[in-house]
Amino acid sequence: MSDAAADADEPRTYIESEVIMSSVRVVAPFVLTFGLFVTFHGADSPGGGFQGGALVGVVVLMLAFAFGIDPTRQWLGSRIVTIVAALGLVVFAAIGFGSVALGGGFLEYARYPLHHPTKLGIEAVEIGGIALIVAGVIIGLFFLTAAGPRGDES
Amino acid sequence: MEYVAYALALFVIVTAVATALLRDILAAIVVFGAYSLGMALLYTLLLAPDVGLTEAVIGAGVTTLLLLLTIAKTVRPSDDRNIERIDPRALFACGALAAVFGLTLPGLPAVGDPDAPIISYDAVTGYYLTQSYSETGVENTVTAVLAAYRGFDTFGEATVVFAAGVAALVVLRREVFT
Repeated sequence: MSDAAADADEPRTYIESEVIMSSVRVVAPFVLTFGLFVTFHGADSPGGGFQGGALVGVVVLMLAFAFGIDPTRQWLGSRIVTIVAALGLVVFAAIGFGSVALGGGFLEYARYPLHHPTKLGIEAVEIGGIALIVAGVIIGLFFLTAAGPRGDES
Repeated sequence: MEYVAYALALFVIVTAVATALLRDILAAIVVFGAYSLGMALLYTLLLAPDVGLTEAVIGAGVTTLLLLLTIAKTVRPSDDRNIERIDPRALFACGALAAVFGLTLPGLPAVGDPDAPIISYDAVTGYYLTQSYSETGVENTVTAVLAAYRGFDTFGEATVVFAAGVAALVVLRREVFT
């Protein structure tokens, strides 16, 4: 009974719901697949790294929404989200400054000694750069908002 | 098709007004999500599926979730003050940023200028539509513009997204996202 009294004071962010859990269980794999498709096929169809990365990030948000934010936070661990977002920025910058090192301008894909360098460069920036940054930051912002300022948790 | 667009535009206007007028914040957030969904469909109907996809995911999905989380996490302020205290440093930073952006205004073409490069078809739009495939090898012109022709801008945007995450960490005085 003391739990119920404590809950009444605390604003609750998670209430277990069979409907939401079942829906997310069915929908999440499709959203993940669609997100990966939009990311990897973004050069030839609508979408790209931003939309695809956001969709992949949303899958994690859906899981947190359905199964509780704290269990999802523990499942993710404290490192992976930061690593994903930072890795995206590093990949993007590396591709950009790589062409400078090869004697061209920033992101001048044609400098790379590859077959179809521009197409491959665009794909690399979209998938390895933008998608990772957006997915990481969206997941990060969600869990940060849920956690609130430090010293505020109960 | 036209009637669908008109119906969607009406839906968007009604949901936008409802978002502004509803007193219950939870209801306003739900209606705002519906507004974003209407906008996403409208963008898709106006042949901008890339923007529509973004609006659907970010506007209808992520924003709604973040707003729901926010009302679950916030309470009414306990004291009687009606107006927030103003931090002079924050005011200075915001003013300086606005001034810097304002400096770029004279460089923009006048509103509705028919000779603006973005409107005169052949200078920009037509060039991308006819040349992007042969120059970049990707079929989605939007992706070609985003990652090749305007790659430096996109690098800046990606950095801004990352910086937004870092800024949230700083504001909430935390060291890791999760």
